[in-house]
Amino acid sequence: MNTEPALMSLTSVAKAIAEKRVSSREATQACLDRIAQWQPRLNAFMAIEAEAALAATDAADAALAKGDRRGALHGVPLAHKDMYYEAGKVVTCGSKIRRDFVATKTSTALQRLKDAGTIRLGSLQMAEFAYGPTGHNAHYGPVHNPWAVDRITGGSSSGSGSAVAARLTFAAMGSDTGGSIRMPAHFCGVTGLKTTYGRISRAGAMPLSQSLDTVGPLARTAEDCALLLGLMAGADAQDPTAVAGPVPDYMAAAREPIKGLTIGVPSAFYVDDLDPEVARILDETVAALKREGADIVQVELPDQRQLTASCQLVLAVEAAAFHKRWLIERPQDYGPQVLMRLQNGLAIPGVIYLEAMRWRGSALAAHLAAVAGVDAVIAPVAPVAAPTIAESDVGNSPDAESVIQRLTRFTRPINYLGLPSLSIPAGFTRGGLPVGMQLIGRSFDEAMLLRIGAAFQRVTDFHERAPKSA
Amino acid sequence: MTRPTAKEIKAIADIAGVAVSNEVAERIANSIGPAFEGFASVAGTLPFDLEPATFIVVQQAANTPDKGAAQ
Repeated sequence: MNTEPALMSLTSVAKAIAEKRVSSREATQACLDRIAQWQPRLNAFMAIEAEAALAATDAADAALAKGDRRGALHGVPLAHKDMYYEAGKVVTCGSKIRRDFVATKTSTALQRLKDAGTIRLGSLQMAEFAYGPTGHNAHYGPVHNPWAVDRITGGSSSGSGSAVAARLTFAAMGSDTGGSIRMPAHFCGVTGLKTTYGRISRAGAMPLSQSLDTVGPLARTAEDCALLLGLMAGADAQDPTAVAGPVPDYMAAAREPIKGLTIGVPSAFYVDDLDPEVARILDETVAALKREGADIVQVELPDQRQLTASCQLVLAVEAAAFHKRWLIERPQDYGPQVLMRLQNGLAIPGVIYLEAMRWRGSALAAHLAAVAGVDAVIAPVAPVAAPTIAESDVGNSPDAESVIQRLTRFTRPINYLGLPSLSIPAGFTRGGLPVGMQLIGRSFDEAMLLRIGAAFQRVTDFHERAPKSA
Repeated sequence: MTRPTAKEIKAIADIAGVAVSNEVAERIANSIGPAFEGFASVAGTLPFDLEPATFIVVQQAANTPDKGAAQ
């Protein structure tokens, strides 16, 4: 275990603080030192609240000295994507329109982490209104990838991916509507969990598409994601789509071996037109899982292009509806690409939108039937490693949407089906860029994905590698 | 199902209360055309009784005790 506090995993630092081997102040100061070092090059933070964070650590350390441990994350400093409302705090949503918006309530997911004892480091950059997969932001500038600062982080949880990778925060909440957790996890070399639709309350989280939005963590390990999921999941009176029922013991699941499990590799679509390095890393990941005792089989999934198209139709209409007032009153205050994509939703007739919504149950049933013989499916998150910021800066050019669709073609079907997917660091290109693979599960079976992801991380070290500071 | 033309998009956007220029309508047509084509094989084929809540029904049916979780 690394003893430099900021380099520890979330579970390690939480344990170290609980056992008084590391104080909350030491852990927080270590993060703040790294933020000061990296932020000028990464642009990962929207706001840094050093003074308030350190004051909170002193209270946390004093409470712990008196035997008062608030919860599983007592004294652990975290920062989150700047779209989770916290009463009294500015929440920009990565936008000019909400540059001065002060939230009057606190999101359920964030409150549950606060109740577990976390300390606020500040807030993290993101794509404007979470509507962009690259990490560009017309108002606040692009977030940079700590593995190569001329490369994108992926989005929309761009700051979350960058900050977790550079060890500026032990974990961060992101959101995933079309790939926004998995893309940054893949491009930045961290672990990201897109949860099942309904697994975590969305109350107090900025909406993009009410049928597709999901809340989830980016962290260094699958075990860290298990810890966070266990704290955030569960029913919420403020969000009727959050499912009731007991929350599984995800930490216990993450300790289980995978011998005897069956993992499916898609026979098409997810293995088509891959960069050779991504294809190599997929093969190596499958081989590692096989060595751990998993049975590997090929699976034939239904036509994923229909799912991708359906996702685009639903997302475009719902996003346009949320933004309609501002589209009328403040179109000049959007970045060009986000404005263009919001306008796309205006052109989709209500009947087509509802057909895409009506088909969703049948499509999910067909998918579940296709994967009935496997415990999870493994696939690349994207066909390539991180492109450069310059080459992916397509703005509102005529081919912008097609560039975006190509980049997100492996993530959108999963959002349409509402399934959970865990992106794990799976290797590096010969040029040193991280590559992730996604494990796709059945509805509400995050435990299986965390089990497989943690087993993979016990025999690999990709998740432990940190980018070097210049 | 065919992809909408720029002219049709301009009319739909006007009805929605968000007027767009000819240039924007052209760009929208270009952007969302592939989604219409991808969905074409589904559109107009769904059975009468299918409603959006079917998704929740199927999802909940799959929400059996987690195989990945420790018993």
